Amino acid sequence: MAEWNAFYHNEDEEEEQEEGEQSGDYRITGRDSLVFLVDASKEMFIKGEDGQPSNFDMTMQVVRSVYMSKIISSHRDLVALVFYGTEQSKNPRNSFKHVYVYHDLDEPGAKRVQDIDSLRGEKGAQLAAETMGSGETSFGDALWCCANLYSDIKLRLSHKRLMIFTCRDEPHGGDSVKDRQARTKAGDLKETGVVIDLMHLMKPGGFNVSLFFCDIISPLEDESELGLQVEPCEKLDDLKKRVRAKEQKKRAMARLNLCLGEGLNVAVGIYPTAVTARKPVAIRLYRETNEPVRSKTRTFHTQTGSLLLPSEIKKAQVYGNKQIVMEKDEVDAIKKFDDPGLLLIGFKPMEKLKLHHHIRPAVFLYPEEDQVKGSACLFSALLKKCSERNVFALCRCITRRNNPPRFAALVPQLQEVDEGNAQITPPGFNVIYLPFADDLRTLDPPHYPAASQVQVDKMKEIVSKLRFKYRSDSFENPVIQQHYRNLEALALDMMAPEDIEDLIMPKVEQIDQRLGPLVDEFKDLVYPENYNPESKPAAKRKTADSGGGAEKKPKVEVTEDELKVHVQNGTLAKLTVPVLKEACKQFGVRTTGTKKQELIDALIAKLG
Amino acid sequence: MAGTKSALVLCMDVGFSMSNSGPGEEPPFELAKKVIQKFVQRQVFAETKDELALVLFGTDATKNPLDKDDQYQNITVHRSLKVPDFELLVEIENQIQPENQQADWLDALVVCMDLLQTATKVKKYDRLNIVLLTDLNTQASSDNLDVIIENLKQADITLQFFLPFPLEEEEEEEEGQGDGDRRGPGHPGTGKGLSREQKSGLEMVRHVMLSLDEEDGLDEVYSFRDAIEQLCMFKRIERRPMAWPCQLTIGSALSIRIVGYKAVTEEKLKKMWITVDAQSNKRDDVKRETVYCLDDDNETEVQKDDIIQGFRYGSDIVPFSKVDQDQMKYKHDGKCFAVLGFAKQSMVQRHQFMGNQVVKMFAAKNDEHAGVALSALIRALDELQMVAVVRYAYDRRSNPQVGAAFPCIKQDYECLMYVQLPFMEDLRHFTFPSLENKKLTPSDAQLSAVDALIDSMMLVKEDENGEQKDLFKPHNIPNPAFQRHFQCLHHRAVSPGTPLPAMEPWLQAALDRPEVIGERCRAPLEEMKRKFPLTEVEKKKKLKTSAQIFGKDAEESDAKNVKDEAEEEYNLADIAEGSVTSVGSVDPARDFRALIKQKSLPFGEVCQQLTRRIEQLLSNKDTLYYMKSITCIQAFREQSVKLGSADLYNSYLQSLKRSIENRGLEVFWDLLVQDAVTLISKDEVEGSTISKTEANQFLVVEEKKEEAAAPQVEDTGDVDDLLDMM
Repeated sequence: MAEWNAFYHNEDEEEEQEEGEQSGDYRITGRDSLVFLVDASKEMFIKGEDGQPSNFDMTMQVVRSVYMSKIISSHRDLVALVFYGTEQSKNPRNSFKHVYVYHDLDEPGAKRVQDIDSLRGEKGAQLAAETMGSGETSFGDALWCCANLYSDIKLRLSHKRLMIFTCRDEPHGGDSVKDRQARTKAGDLKETGVVIDLMHLMKPGGFNVSLFFCDIISPLEDESELGLQVEPCEKLDDLKKRVRAKEQKKRAMARLNLCLGEGLNVAVGIYPTAVTARKPVAIRLYRETNEPVRSKTRTFHTQTGSLLLPSEIKKAQVYGNKQIVMEKDEVDAIKKFDDPGLLLIGFKPMEKLKLHHHIRPAVFLYPEEDQVKGSACLFSALLKKCSERNVFALCRCITRRNNPPRFAALVPQLQEVDEGNAQITPPGFNVIYLPFADDLRTLDPPHYPAASQVQVDKMKEIVSKLRFKYRSDSFENPVIQQHYRNLEALALDMMAPEDIEDLIMPKVEQIDQRLGPLVDEFKDLVYPENYNPESKPAAKRKTADSGGGAEKKPKVEVTEDELKVHVQNGTLAKLTVPVLKEACKQFGVRTTGTKKQELIDALIAKLG
Repeated sequence: MAGTKSALVLCMDVGFSMSNSGPGEEPPFELAKKVIQKFVQRQVFAETKDELALVLFGTDATKNPLDKDDQYQNITVHRSLKVPDFELLVEIENQIQPENQQADWLDALVVCMDLLQTATKVKKYDRLNIVLLTDLNTQASSDNLDVIIENLKQADITLQFFLPFPLEEEEEEEEGQGDGDRRGPGHPGTGKGLSREQKSGLEMVRHVMLSLDEEDGLDEVYSFRDAIEQLCMFKRIERRPMAWPCQLTIGSALSIRIVGYKAVTEEKLKKMWITVDAQSNKRDDVKRETVYCLDDDNETEVQKDDIIQGFRYGSDIVPFSKVDQDQMKYKHDGKCFAVLGFAKQSMVQRHQFMGNQVVKMFAAKNDEHAGVALSALIRALDELQMVAVVRYAYDRRSNPQVGAAFPCIKQDYECLMYVQLPFMEDLRHFTFPSLENKKLTPSDAQLSAVDALIDSMMLVKEDENGEQKDLFKPHNIPNPAFQRHFQCLHHRAVSPGTPLPAMEPWLQAALDRPEVIGERCRAPLEEMKRKFPLTEVEKKKKLKTSAQIFGKDAEESDAKNVKDEAEEEYNLADIAEGSVTSVGSVDPARDFRALIKQKSLPFGEVCQQLTRRIEQLLSNKDTLYYMKSITCIQAFREQSVKLGSADLYNSYLQSLKRSIENRGLEVFWDLLVQDAVTLISKDEVEGSTISKTEANQFLVVEEKKEEAAAPQVEDTGDVDDLLDMM
């Protein structure tokens, strides 16, 4: 039998998990594409006043930061960089003059970022002049060339965008033939679904969009952007912002039926809305060549060395000195209670949902009209009524095959939109998973007197001084941020990674300053002098009900006779402290001491 | 750990009176045995370190250390203190039988006490307990009762009684002068009234229990029935809470000593399944090994030491050794619970809780000042309806979190409840179409139907006394997965070789709608059905469309370059298909390739699956299906050449050729000839027994035979023969 006939199994769990997560909905998985069409005319290289960088330099900065953001957030997206108005030409079939395709439409990588780096600054301008130079402009050709880039891509593209960076509002200097050609080409592009954006740059005297570009670009939402623009496009700043977070595609984890009762099934999709982000999964590489390495796991018989098929192994657990063996599919069958789905148990008022009943992040429920027609309407009615009556729906849910059930609260969430009519919260149910009896732990809380109102009021002052508006997206994960910066530094041969700002570090100085004397005032109210919370507690004082600890100690006793013998022979010290204490109690010896000698002395005094 | 386990003696009456029962009632002996079985079972699966002894009385034989001069007769120490195991369970099942003697239960109690006292001389136990199961139907001499009580107290031994009848009812009965009808029907033994011995025995039980614990002593007397009901659940998983001492800090100058405990967390089973060999059932016979190999055709193996880690950076993979990662990674000062600021409770949304636990923070033990300081914070937050947003780090090795500390004021304690909150990277801002769409807006009639449904299905209702009653509390239900797990394990352990049992009815019921609700919502549900038409959209073969799309892609790239078959297309196809597990009928050639690539099945088997599909396709006698068959055969050939294994392919193709006439597949054969799909020759694969010329000759069918071949009815036997050859 050929060697690879073996039973191989890829063990990389994390990868599997990732894939499992993605298995939901593949239909949205086209790739995004973005083409930067950058003017390379002489005007672009003119430096601004007071040493301000040139428009070209600015543009390169933007392109670089978009590249770097894309690499981390969605590296499968395609980007291209095309210059127009160059002296030299470089394009796939070299059919266009004065168009220079610097980067073909492809996934960005470290090399590309470094390429852009070399085009920045004084040296960059020089390099650009040497390799491309500035020449005539034919915007129509440039657009045509871009159209070819798109059409050469065999992959499915979900989104096509073209961004024009220029500081010239009349690229052809009034040549109406060329203008018309460009307009026609732009029309063609838009027809194939390409969105054309204009990033107009600084132009002395202002950039007049209405002269030429208003007919090129895709219609704007905001009409005020047409006409004469003194300042460069505002979107530039947005583009410069770096994002170091992996972009997540909207995918349903599962599509299930929400069963309200026999024969009343609403189709719903379950979506993850908050999932703990982790560092990206490492790839194993062969040290010599840096080639990726695959892992294969095989199970074999230790004695015969032959590889074992799944049918040749079983599963077992040991309890009470006995090994209990089951077939592999029995192990799965044990976990099966029912087919995947949500079963409505009933409704409860919202206040019955306890804050501390939290065992895992919530997921989101939204109807799937294309599976069961009418789902959206029923779902919408249920949502509306639950919200109106302030109740949640209690459900039993099984989200995957062979998964045991969990109970969950479906909490209604109505749609919220901001002033611009953009959605803040989507309409649907948040699914809050509830704990079982096993998940709640019994604690033995310590009992202390409550604080007095004066003490509470002082703390309230402190609390009010440190109020801030919490937003869930305002804290970045320093661990992940550091990892991405390290990666960037290594990939781009940087000397050191960029610094991160640890947003979850308390701003101690600011806090101290804000609180001022309040801290000391509060401490005076609650802590006695010489109390130092940083150190171990001072002499343990027994509070009224601190007997809990003592009870647990084993009770060890000696008889009166034995004790007397010990007293006579002077061998009391042989007994242990608990025994001595017990003896003291037994014979009604009152001692304040806890030291062994004190106990012995007290006993001798009584019995001796 | 020494001193943390307890010692328990199960003391069971097996005397002849235990077998007496009213008609149709289970004898007390059987019930008592069940109690013991269930109890031991629970102990075994909870894997407690508690030790257990078993003493039987009323036995024919006598075997106990106090056996002397006719004293303590008919009492047997069946098993001395030991951690319970399956051996004990089997013994209980097989060896405990009703016997014919009677023994004084007080004597038995003394034997148990002696057993415990002997044991404590050697080992320390933190709790000593005796459980007596008897019907009290023997004359017990109460002479030494007070001495026994005194000794129990001295030795700090607790006592529990399990009787065939409930204590309370007997009481009532006495007062009510024995009104037989008022007795619960479920309690056997009471049916025939209590004997004189039982009555006096009960008196003694009451006396003993009340002298041991004046207030709650009688709560430790149970009936068999109640016990069995309570014991049917497996013990819930309990873990010793681990204290996490830390300091809550506000700025640099204010700190409060606190201690945290996990209060809520998703509990997992403590044990994992181990893999054993199916024949020997031995774990050591099975070994799993992971090997690493390059992604080339030879799958060159690489040593583990020669592997480094890398991370994807766009289209590049950046090598990043573990040492460097450690050096460059984010580092912090370790354990921390520092306030970043305070925010309104309403801003922290419930559905944005992260992590899988809730930690309760109390003031440090034995530090009243910390208690007061923390109380001030808790109450301030509570009065202002705010939370503390904190940085939380468990220790130096773990990643820091951001989270919220909620105030929690209970009747007998106060604490902060800590929950992790999301980082920006964790959030996925998805937008969904609005539901306020004219087509979807429910009508008033529809809304009132929902209203009625909610009314009928409210699980929380106020009763006549204005008290709220919750019909369904998930947090009181034991995790059904664990219950089922132990049930099945137990079954397999005691009755090996039989199929797994059905789920226990009580568990099934616990997971369902309460019966009352089920009844009540029936009519509103019918109304809902009328008001909301729901029609299942015919499943548009979701998988198939994807397979078609990707199938086409795969073919295209096939044409260009087989080797370059974009890895990604495959992956996508796999994902969409939910990974290929067998050669399907939609695109068998693609499935076949995928399976070969996956290597989850032996080559031979995959080939067999493919040929079975080909036979299926050919039986349709339609050009379209012939074309599909040919792509399958092409894939078969291509993969066989790739893997250098020609035999299976060649023998299949030869037998296929032989069957052409019989099955009237000439048209198909012509197509195959056109495509020049022939045998694999020596030139292509070394192991092949076919020469180049043979391969070329192979496709030529003697034309003269053509006429003779009258189309015949398909002979299925032939197909089987073909498959048998594989």
